[in-house]
Amino acid sequence: MTLYGYQKSMRAVNFICHATQAKTVSLVGDFNGWNPAVNRMKQMPDRSWLITVELKHGHHRYAFLVDGVFTLDPQAQGIARNDKGERVSLVPVS
Amino acid sequence: MKRTVKSNRGKPSKPVRTKGGSASTGTIHPVIIYPFKQPADYGDLEALYSLVERLGADREKYERPITVVDRKTYYSQKKAAPFLAFRNRTLARCGDILDAWCVDTCQMWYAGLGAAFERGKPGDVYWLIPGDFNYGAAAGREVLGRLHDLPEIILELDQHLCIGEIATDHNNSKQLIDTHGTFALLYNWFPAEAQAIRQYTERPRSEFFAVRHDFLAEVLTQRWYPYEQTVVMLLHAIFKQRRISRFFVGNISDLPEGRESLASALQQVERTERVLKTLWRDRHRAQSGWIQRYRELEAHSEQIRRTALTILQNLLPG
Repeated sequence: MTLYGYQKSMRAVNFICHATQAKTVSLVGDFNGWNPAVNRMKQMPDRSWLITVELKHGHHRYAFLVDGVFTLDPQAQGIARNDKGERVSLVPVS
Repeated sequence: MKRTVKSNRGKPSKPVRTKGGSASTGTIHPVIIYPFKQPADYGDLEALYSLVERLGADREKYERPITVVDRKTYYSQKKAAPFLAFRNRTLARCGDILDAWCVDTCQMWYAGLGAAFERGKPGDVYWLIPGDFNYGAAAGREVLGRLHDLPEIILELDQHLCIGEIATDHNNSKQLIDTHGTFALLYNWFPAEAQAIRQYTERPRSEFFAVRHDFLAEVLTQRWYPYEQTVVMLLHAIFKQRRISRFFVGNISDLPEGRESLASALQQVERTERVLKTLWRDRHRAQSGWIQRYRELEAHSEQIRRTALTILQNLLPG
């Protein structure tokens, strides 16, 4: 996952999921109400999945939904618990 | 204990803006553990205290930082001009100095976190910053730019404990001690909890962490075990199902204080074993037949410690 760009307090964040065998991957997190329909990821030529999302300054919890399976990001900068007590990934946006 | 810190109890809450734009009433209390041994060059400490000074200036978000200084450090350096100049010019300017007689670093943590806690209020966060790292190096400066994430994660995401994880190579003494000592012993004494801890961190003895007021109240008022407080806090967080988070802070090394020697590594493994034994007894001694189970675990523990000794002896300088 990499950060780029800057627009006021929002920042574009790339999320990459290396589930090359998956049929569908969604990004879920605090920023989209953990709704898998909001941020569906796109498969790239190398078969990894990518999405760019504009996020506010701060720390955000997220996970990938890989063929419906809740999956942590192994490249995440941190781990935390969400409001349901599940372990989720963590991304800082500065 | 000589104190120069003042209580802020009763002080009105100051709002902190969170990522959602909502106001949290908590503020952050930085607690810096001053190095026991003095470096020949103060570049690392100067880099650290340039951060501490910035924190102290941000009164909306941070309480006045507290630096804990062991009195033994003071007496060993009281005629050393560089130490006195740094103490009087930098430490005193950047925050409050808590002078305390401490048996070891864990007692410095206890003294510093306890003093900050007495200034604090529900919703506040206490942020421990070890002083003996190479903050002046390029990687260290990058870490200094990330450390503030630890308390912010607690405030923004309503966590109880946030562990800062550093990257080390596989042959680093910390890595070897944690792999062959800390986790092996944890799997013996607290197997379920050890698995839960490892889901969060490979550094259960990390010196970088932040802790929320209510959780610090729980651990401060319980028996304070003599060593390896991060391990103990992680175990309590698992026992009580508190919210743990982990954040990668970067590549950084402690300053050379002999920790990389075999003797020091063995001492760290022995301390971990001692604290786990004590904690296990405290949690099980009310149960009938606990002593038989204890003896079994102790026998396994001794085997684990001896194996760790062999491995560390093969890999670390004598």
